[in-house]
Amino acid sequence: MAYYIDLAFNGLVFGCMYALMAVGLTLVYGLLRILHIAHAAVYAFGAYITVIVANATGSIAIGILAAIAACTLLGMAIYRLLYEPLLDYPPYVAMIASIGLLVVMEDGFRIAFGEQGLTFARNPYPTQLHDIAGLTVNTVQIAIIALSTICLVLLALFTTRTRIGIGWRATVSDPRIATSFGVDAIKVRYLNFAIGSALAALGGALIALLNNFVEPTMGFVVSYKALAIIVLGGLGSLQGTLIASLALGLTESYGTIFVGRFLDRDAIAFLFLIAVLLIRPQGLAGARTA
Amino acid sequence: MRTKLVCSRLGTLAACLLLIAATSPASAQIKLGFQAPLTGPAATDGKSAKIAADMAVEKINAAGVLGQKIELITYDDQAKTEEAVFTANKLAGQDGVKFAVSGSYSASGRAAAPIFQQAGVPFISAYGVHPDITRAGNDVFRGVHLGPPQGRAAAKFIGDNLGLKRVSIVTMDNDYGQATLEGFKSAVDQFGIKVLGEYSYSLKDRQFGSIVASVKRDNPDVVYVTGYFFTAAPLVTQLRSAGIQAPIVGSQAFDAQKLIEIAGSAVEGVYIVGGLNRDRDMPELKEYLAQFQKRAGYAGENVGATVYSAVRLMADAITRAGTPDPAKARDALAATKNFPHLAGELVSFNPLREINMPMNVNVVKDGQFRHYAWIDDLKLLAPPTE
Repeated sequence: MAYYIDLAFNGLVFGCMYALMAVGLTLVYGLLRILHIAHAAVYAFGAYITVIVANATGSIAIGILAAIAACTLLGMAIYRLLYEPLLDYPPYVAMIASIGLLVVMEDGFRIAFGEQGLTFARNPYPTQLHDIAGLTVNTVQIAIIALSTICLVLLALFTTRTRIGIGWRATVSDPRIATSFGVDAIKVRYLNFAIGSALAALGGALIALLNNFVEPTMGFVVSYKALAIIVLGGLGSLQGTLIASLALGLTESYGTIFVGRFLDRDAIAFLFLIAVLLIRPQGLAGARTA
Repeated sequence: MRTKLVCSRLGTLAACLLLIAATSPASAQIKLGFQAPLTGPAATDGKSAKIAADMAVEKINAAGVLGQKIELITYDDQAKTEEAVFTANKLAGQDGVKFAVSGSYSASGRAAAPIFQQAGVPFISAYGVHPDITRAGNDVFRGVHLGPPQGRAAAKFIGDNLGLKRVSIVTMDNDYGQATLEGFKSAVDQFGIKVLGEYSYSLKDRQFGSIVASVKRDNPDVVYVTGYFFTAAPLVTQLRSAGIQAPIVGSQAFDAQKLIEIAGSAVEGVYIVGGLNRDRDMPELKEYLAQFQKRAGYAGENVGATVYSAVRLMADAITRAGTPDPAKARDALAATKNFPHLAGELVSFNPLREINMPMNVNVVKDGQFRHYAWIDDLKLLAPPTE
């Protein structure tokens, strides 16, 4: 029994990581109908900045804050320099540009920081163990669950309780009407990229801490998994994305053990995606379809 | 008129010089083709391979081979099949090399082998582990242990040397991981080992929570893991983070300094079957490691050592043959006895031109790879013969 709880806990950790990453994608898709593949590069960038700044300053906290700041700016820059000029074209044009940016950034990491990746000079957290009701968990795993829960709750409060947040949701559901009510649609877009990128930075930083390792291609696997998640969640639905993230995390956690001998972990993720879409073509939340 | 005369005299002079250069034995060159992944995802290993090959050529040329010098002609194969085919054709055709060494991965070695075989160019794949490479024909040799002997050596190490019997296995799901696993499983009965659980992961995975939970449930005496440093470091860290204290035995590809850099204290005490014995009392190895560190800026590893030895071995075979004739040098290569390979004494090649060589086991101690044991049962380590 403890074993199955252990697996569930692992699934939960995976799920929270996926959620941090996928929320940004969903936000962009909901607002602009662009599949923001380069979001994975923002996530990897966040991981690199965390390691570099932490090693330079000796403080992991400063590293994480620097990563969040840098990625927020990067996300907004990507919108301004890459997507905005392409908004008049069909969405696949922006998507192709996005894939291009991901490839360029991956190679950029390789050239700038080396093929072999980087490591924290000092990172005691992944090996700090805690016994919680018979489960052995490490500090980073706890941080992943706690921080992603806090961030997503704050995000939910922000979108439902604040003026800017409500304006944002209004823009997502109907940009023209929102604009006529005085919401600045352009500001909303920047806000969108800023928040999504900050969450991706946090995700990247936490994974860097967990693995004690960042590498040029670290965004790639997460990129297509996050795409699967937003499709699963019913494109553009925040709630659906969260459910899909957790569902995928758990499926992978159990799947690796029970069908892992025949299928690799990514294949399990996509099999799950196909299975869900066969039963619910509108995705798990199903509030809206693309 | 005057200019014309000067030109023609200069031309004659140049022609004479060329003639002298071509006939003078002291500066004659033996062309050695070399392929390595200098760019792309495998570029780290490519860099090590190139540095090692250059070092070997310099060492050889300091003394000369049959009074001649080796000229290394290098191409980047990006560890890709199509690039390997292209550059192998270029080497064998346009460049007219008579000998070749691959400092690249299995896929490109496997693609290049038939081309060199066809051209009658003796070819050594320094560290490519796909079994089909040497099956290309009798000109193709390999300078590293195949997966199955590595797996059998690990079984012997666990069962005999460590005396542990209950094992959980975690393997990567590529050809090399599977081949090593087959070797390991073929020898478990012989060493009284009981396999409690068998898990596999993809090379893209960095999170092994479910596997770790399962290994914990198995509660084994020892965990046998195959992987590269970038999967092994997080995997070992996560096994230790889950409170699993059992010894961990890793495969050859663990043997990279980066493993220790990433996983730090978590890899202390991890054994590596097939790692490079850096403590060996061999002046050439010591000199190689010191030089390599200086040139590369990082510590020498298996990849570089096997490439260095492959180039040295080729020159050694030419010397033994007494002629740079490829067919005769090939026969000398096949007849190699007790060659001082940097990774161990290369006793001989078997009929499939695979090495008979003892295997080293390292242990990570105080952040260093240290020699722990030799597995020298050559019968157990016997590579396939067909």
